[in-house]
Amino acid sequence: MAKARAIIKRRKAVDNIRKITRTMELIATARFRKAMDRAVEAEAYTRKIAEMASDLGGASPSTLHPLYEKREPAANALLLVLTSNRGLAGGYNGNVLRAAIRDYQDLQAEGSQVAVEVSGKRGQNFLKYRKIPVSANYGHFEDKPAFHEVEVLADRYMRLFLEGKIDRLDVAYTRFINTAKQEAVVRTLLPIPTDDPDAAPKAAEAKAAPAAAGAGREKAEYEFLPDAEGILQELVPVSFKARLFKCFLDAAVSEQIARMVAMKGASQNADELSKNLTRQYNRARQSQITGDLADIVGAAIALE
Amino acid sequence: MATATRTGRIAQVIGSTFDAEFDEGELPNIYNALKIDTNDKGVEIHLTGEVQQHLGGNRVRCVALGSTDGLVRGMPVLDTGAPVSVPVGKGSLGRVFNLLGQPIDGRGSVPSEESWPIHRDPPSFDSLSPKTEQFETGIKVIDLLTPFVRGGKIGLFGGAGLGKTVILQEMISRIASVHSGYSVFAGVGERTREGNDLWLEMQETKVGSTGKSVIDSTVMLFGQMNEPPGARLRVALSALTMAEWFRDATGADTLLFIDNIFRFSQAGSEVSALLGRMPSNVGYQPTLATEMGALQERITSTKKGAITSVQAVYVPADDLTDPAPATTFGFLDAFIVLSRSISEKGIYPAIDPLGSSSRILDPQYVGEEHYEVSQRVLKILQRYKELRDIIAILGVDELSEDDKLIVARARRIERFLSQPFFVAEVFLNKPGEYTKLPDTIRSFKEICDGKWDHLPESAFMYVGAIEQAEEQAKKMGAI
Repeated sequence: MAKARAIIKRRKAVDNIRKITRTMELIATARFRKAMDRAVEAEAYTRKIAEMASDLGGASPSTLHPLYEKREPAANALLLVLTSNRGLAGGYNGNVLRAAIRDYQDLQAEGSQVAVEVSGKRGQNFLKYRKIPVSANYGHFEDKPAFHEVEVLADRYMRLFLEGKIDRLDVAYTRFINTAKQEAVVRTLLPIPTDDPDAAPKAAEAKAAPAAAGAGREKAEYEFLPDAEGILQELVPVSFKARLFKCFLDAAVSEQIARMVAMKGASQNADELSKNLTRQYNRARQSQITGDLADIVGAAIALE
Repeated sequence: MATATRTGRIAQVIGSTFDAEFDEGELPNIYNALKIDTNDKGVEIHLTGEVQQHLGGNRVRCVALGSTDGLVRGMPVLDTGAPVSVPVGKGSLGRVFNLLGQPIDGRGSVPSEESWPIHRDPPSFDSLSPKTEQFETGIKVIDLLTPFVRGGKIGLFGGAGLGKTVILQEMISRIASVHSGYSVFAGVGERTREGNDLWLEMQETKVGSTGKSVIDSTVMLFGQMNEPPGARLRVALSALTMAEWFRDATGADTLLFIDNIFRFSQAGSEVSALLGRMPSNVGYQPTLATEMGALQERITSTKKGAITSVQAVYVPADDLTDPAPATTFGFLDAFIVLSRSISEKGIYPAIDPLGSSSRILDPQYVGEEHYEVSQRVLKILQRYKELRDIIAILGVDELSEDDKLIVARARRIERFLSQPFFVAEVFLNKPGEYTKLPDTIRSFKEICDGKWDHLPESAFMYVGAIEQAEEQAKKMGAI
């Protein structure tokens, strides 16, 4: 019966884990809706701002604003890694960190001094384990990153960039494409890229339907007051902030989706394991009873 | 003892046991061999039985050591006045016998000066050998985790189809071919075909560089699954008696292979009920431990010579707590447990590293380094086992970085514990590997240290020392 008892114990442990994973799944589902609304709303705003900025900048924006200035090779790079504070999110953190490490090694190979900043405890622990020095930790971004919090970071990065202390800013995060697809990516935010890789498919769409979408995207003739350059000075930093904020929002919604999916799978696995263990236990119990019965009957017959 | 010509009559036949009636005061002793040689209506019957019980009323109950077909009440029974005896001596080398010591290889009679009864007392306490040293097999998992004892008893536990017989045959080809002493093989209740294969194979295998066949220093005895329970019950004792002669008379190191000791218990259980004993635990004979003890206690090394025995033990329904394997455990110096979960992964030998153990896996016998490496390996595998439920539910990604590393190494170690066998060359298309003990220890130490984390897991399958894993990885184009 020792074996049967061990099986019961294991099943209890599995059932307890299942309770946790099921709860996490429900919480993640609730949070995911809110996070997704924010991300989708920000998406439109960010894209429009970026479009305007590049429209204004024209063909060679780098001459217009110092944030566009490309410095090759980048002597000092900064890598910001966005991870979650909590685990139980499947491959979410692992994928971002893998992408981040690859970028880190690439940058080093190019001869850059790479400073790493990380948001989220998971990332901190991982980098500490891999013995990669981290110059700043942000643990305060939770499920709802606020714009004013991100703005502080954005201002600092712009200042560093303008002062020439960093020549490049990379952000490793999980890009939210739709509810079924998110991918871990590394994007260069400073210098501000003139061609947005994420916007590329949109441009292709626009080409496919030139009559409808293309018309709106055509260079509109604006009148600028007081002048184009003045507006650009305002618009470029706002565009950068919006982009950085978008990264945080994407990361937040992706985390919830990853957790939802991971926990759903985990609950299913736990169910299955629990079912198998129950079956094993029943079988062990049954064979124990059969053995006992056989012994009793055998002894009774022998005594006759 | 009086003259051995007392005759009685069969009084009752119950399956593979029979009762015989003798005259007042002429009852044969317990364990005496009784012979029936008749020709009844053209049917020749030659049967030997062994006295088990005195029933009263001048009757004795015997176990038939052959088939009881054609036995009729009233047939004359001859008391030989002594237990079953087998011919011992060098004349028996290279031959194949049944449990009665009759040659069954069709090569005529066996020249022997001496016959020893198969029932003997175990060696006395003061004649036992106190020496303990390791016996290198060249199989990594065995040498590292369950080191064999020279002159000790080793058990191979496993359910149906896990490869007990293959490992046993591998042991024969590994040990016997470098071994200078004598070997005795007892086939107890296993497939007859395997006995035949083994016999042919032994004729081909040569001992080291001498050019002599292994069979020339080997005696084989068979009481296979086609034979009645009495034969399977006693053939192990016959083999042991021959091995004892080599130990006591020549002082040579003797190897005794038994495949399969469970059939011995099973045969005992088959005759037990017929002998009128009340079945005990799970239907086994109440005398299970006694029978096992009488056999196992005789397999020992004395100051005169050593018997190293390797025994396969079938585990019914993969349940090690079954009384038959459980009784065997206690007598062994090293036990190897074969596990279905490992064989399902395609890892052979399917030895369960956490279930197997050896008495001499202790720094005072194997040395500090060996002990330490083996414990590290076991610790990693143990931790992996504990994490398995979590991985099954949550996935590897949820583990901490330390645990991820342990899992990665454990999976590599698990695969590295496989090894190509000489007798399995046809299955693997790979020649067998003999890995020297220092290489084994070094290889596992380096894996635990993380020196080989960069090799893919599959590179660790079926190789010898760790350098071969590297080579295999290169061949696969992984590095």
